[in-house]
Amino acid sequence: MQAVILAAGEGSRLRPLTRSKPKAMIPVANRPIIEYVIDALLENGIRDIVVVVGYRKEDVIRYLNRLDAPIQVVVQERQLGTADALRAARSEITKDFLVLPGDNYVNAESIARIKKEQNAMLVAEHPNPSNFGVVVIRNGLVREIIEKPEDAPTFTVSTGIYSFTPDVFSYLQTNEIPDALAAMIASGRRIRAIPADDWQDAVYSWDLLKLNSRMLRGITPGIGGTVDASVIRRGTVRIGTGTTIGPNTVIYGPVTIGSNCNIGPGCMIMPNTSIGDRVVLEPFTYVADSLIMSDVTIGSHSRIVSAVFGQGCILADHTTTYPSASFIEVGGRVHKEEFGAVLGDGVRAAPFTTFKNCIAGNSVTIEEGKTVVGLIEDGTRVM
Amino acid sequence: MCGIVGYVGRRDATPVLIQGLKRLEYRGYDSFGIATVGSAIEIYKKTGRISDGEAGAADLCGCTGIGHTRWATHGEPNDINAHPHIDCSGNIAVVHNGVIENYSELKRQLEGRGHTFRSETDTEVIAHLIEEHYGGDLLAAVNATLPLLEGSYAVLAIAGDTQRIVAARDASPLVLGVGDAEVFAASDMTPLLEYTERVIFLEDGDVADLTPDHLTIYHGGRTVERPVELIAWCVEDTRKGGFAHYMLKEIYEQPQSFYETIRAGISDRVREMVREADEITLVACGTSYHTALAFKYLAESLCSIPVRVEVGSEFKYFTPPLHGLVVAVSQSGETADTIAALKKAKARNCPTLAITNMQGSTVTRIADETLLMRAGPEIGVAATKSYMAQLAALMQIVNLRCEGAFDDVLSHAHLAIGDVLLQDVREAVNLCSKAEHVFFVGRGPFYPVSMEGALKMKEISYVHAEGYAAGELKHGPFALLTEETPVVAICTPGSTYGVMASNIKEMKARKAPVIALGVAGDTELPEIVDIFIPIPNTHLLVQVLTASVALQLLAYHTACALQRDVDKPRNLAKSVTVE
Repeated sequence: MQAVILAAGEGSRLRPLTRSKPKAMIPVANRPIIEYVIDALLENGIRDIVVVVGYRKEDVIRYLNRLDAPIQVVVQERQLGTADALRAARSEITKDFLVLPGDNYVNAESIARIKKEQNAMLVAEHPNPSNFGVVVIRNGLVREIIEKPEDAPTFTVSTGIYSFTPDVFSYLQTNEIPDALAAMIASGRRIRAIPADDWQDAVYSWDLLKLNSRMLRGITPGIGGTVDASVIRRGTVRIGTGTTIGPNTVIYGPVTIGSNCNIGPGCMIMPNTSIGDRVVLEPFTYVADSLIMSDVTIGSHSRIVSAVFGQGCILADHTTTYPSASFIEVGGRVHKEEFGAVLGDGVRAAPFTTFKNCIAGNSVTIEEGKTVVGLIEDGTRVM
Repeated sequence: MCGIVGYVGRRDATPVLIQGLKRLEYRGYDSFGIATVGSAIEIYKKTGRISDGEAGAADLCGCTGIGHTRWATHGEPNDINAHPHIDCSGNIAVVHNGVIENYSELKRQLEGRGHTFRSETDTEVIAHLIEEHYGGDLLAAVNATLPLLEGSYAVLAIAGDTQRIVAARDASPLVLGVGDAEVFAASDMTPLLEYTERVIFLEDGDVADLTPDHLTIYHGGRTVERPVELIAWCVEDTRKGGFAHYMLKEIYEQPQSFYETIRAGISDRVREMVREADEITLVACGTSYHTALAFKYLAESLCSIPVRVEVGSEFKYFTPPLHGLVVAVSQSGETADTIAALKKAKARNCPTLAITNMQGSTVTRIADETLLMRAGPEIGVAATKSYMAQLAALMQIVNLRCEGAFDDVLSHAHLAIGDVLLQDVREAVNLCSKAEHVFFVGRGPFYPVSMEGALKMKEISYVHAEGYAAGELKHGPFALLTEETPVVAICTPGSTYGVMASNIKEMKARKAPVIALGVAGDTELPEIVDIFIPIPNTHLLVQVLTASVALQLLAYHTACALQRDVDKPRNLAKSVTVE
């Protein structure tokens, strides 16, 4: 069996985090999302993997090159849609195959369920079905797919994972795979609906926090760098090579910390926190329920809760992220979600900045002592 | 400037040799060939590039063999001049990297004694000399031959009746790879990465006798022990993966290459050396010369130390009083001119430092100390990530002399480099790919950056490009400006901004289209130029890096638009190991 992973799309609803990489490459628990998909396939013995790349493809290709599994890369020149991406992989397909989005988490058991089927779709229940293709099922067969409806008839959604035979290419008339499914159903083909065992998507940037804590459950403990003898650790903690954890730091797992970080003395890292490579946490800083990407520096006496920080943010001392919920418009919809902050790449904040339910774009600069709320465009200077 | 590879062990030698030659192809790609010990010596050689598919036809028997990929020095590239070369009887085969300076004399003598020569190469004399001394003991025959040779060599020899390779080096690189009941030999370690991480760097004058189970190294007739070193590179780094070219892959590896070099730091001994120096002389060739020149601007202005920069090939013609620290900058560590300069500095009792990407390379043996850049294997002939790693190494020296004033700048520089990689340069590429001549201008540290931009442009896209100090343009080259000669100008805030801007206006007045590199957020510059390429608004040190990356992208995409062979530009080889 073959597998085609679609990793060409930007994932624009996750902006500003997709500036330098596609959604599939966003690190969750310090591993790009696509790595979980590849793992699930390999666990099922599926090694013939084709990855369709497009948006910011260099990053993806470099990463795929470093994996042990031999992975075929094809390029979708323009990101027109999922069916178009699949067409780009056509020349590589010789037998029955799976199609998977590279930017959703799926576990090996779910793959095991669908790989036995010839024409099937993996479905899951979701509390907000309107963000997905809602699936109407009768007798275990897919009847209809309604793309992102205002009023969803059921809570069952498509995971975007399919099992196909090579003749599916003759049904790819438009640029979207669900249209091809509709055409197959109309011509009398039976598409089985297979319930997923575990599947999770981060549609919006704040959803990454949930995905992060889910993925942190699966980390393997390990201590790479230099950990001071006075450091208190509890739960599953993973620390990369070259990282220094200073005296009197407290770490309550699940927590993963990348390589070459410099943490403490006297920091507190609470559960559900991922910290990337080369991150600096200055003394007396508290971090909980957060996803901190590589090259971030957080000044001393900061309190970071429920936050996603993009690469290379430099936050001075006494930075606070304060979880609350207000109305934010993203991707043409108004949301009210509780989180502290989502910062794009290279955000700089002067001392005593408070982020309150804030999404700050790439390279936003904030001057001293400001409280920033809501959506802030890329490159803005907050004075 | 050729690449050689050898294998003795239990595997079929042919695929190992072919694969190895592919990895060494950057050292030369005129022609290639392999020889194995089957029932007798079997040979396959071909004009052209090993990657062009001809290699598939090679199907020789035997588990012992040698191979060669050539950059012609003596005799044009054709099937006959391709290595390996054999003796009259066809029982001895040799491959050779280097130059035998007294070959014509040796050839005359050998012909006088009845040997028939097939090729025009200098290498063939080695095969015939070994033949004269051969009586069943290949090692003895090679030992008897070497004293007769003048010049430089790394030689691998095999004989049809014995499963062994005899390897010898003098002034040309040779590395041995130690596997499990197998031994590899190669010009550098890239072909070995796939099979072993244990390597031995031979010294000049060493002769090694290699059999599957035994590896003995002789020096001056006595057995010597050479340390087995572990190499940190991984084989993934030598694969192109899904990238169209090695060069593009290597351009994208630059943030990492810069960061890794910074993180590796400077050893205490080198620190001391740099702190004590009251004057620094850098010797380098090609791209390395440009990094050295950029260092001059930065070091002289930021840490007030006098710096001299010289081109390696010219250094021997200077006879100035030489004192202070002498630094040799060379990616491969095998650049012949740089090595010669380094030897000259040693002879004058100057402390010497090598900055190189190749652990164990010749410059590291000659220099007192080495500062290793962490670029990883660079396969594309045009230097990109090694340029970045060189700048990282040199900027660290600046930082050291400034008591760590730029610690923060350097540790975050890789992010800005990553940012420029997202830059779209399509418009500028359209302009350059239609042009016959392109000028690159800059002031201060951006002058060497312009020179490097021009070098990249000409070496891979074959568009004639020249880098000038912006002020020099009016002293002649201005006469060449027309509507069809784009000028790439680097114009960033600082003391040079105003005068650069008026230079640009002068060029515009001559109707030359101007592509300007300026910092993001500059509102004035985009108004006066045709195409504006923004780079992140950061510290001067980082602007030097980011501007260089933007120019690499410009050269790369221009070459692609003109459908050039980016990784193997015509007539060029990666390391220039002849003077």
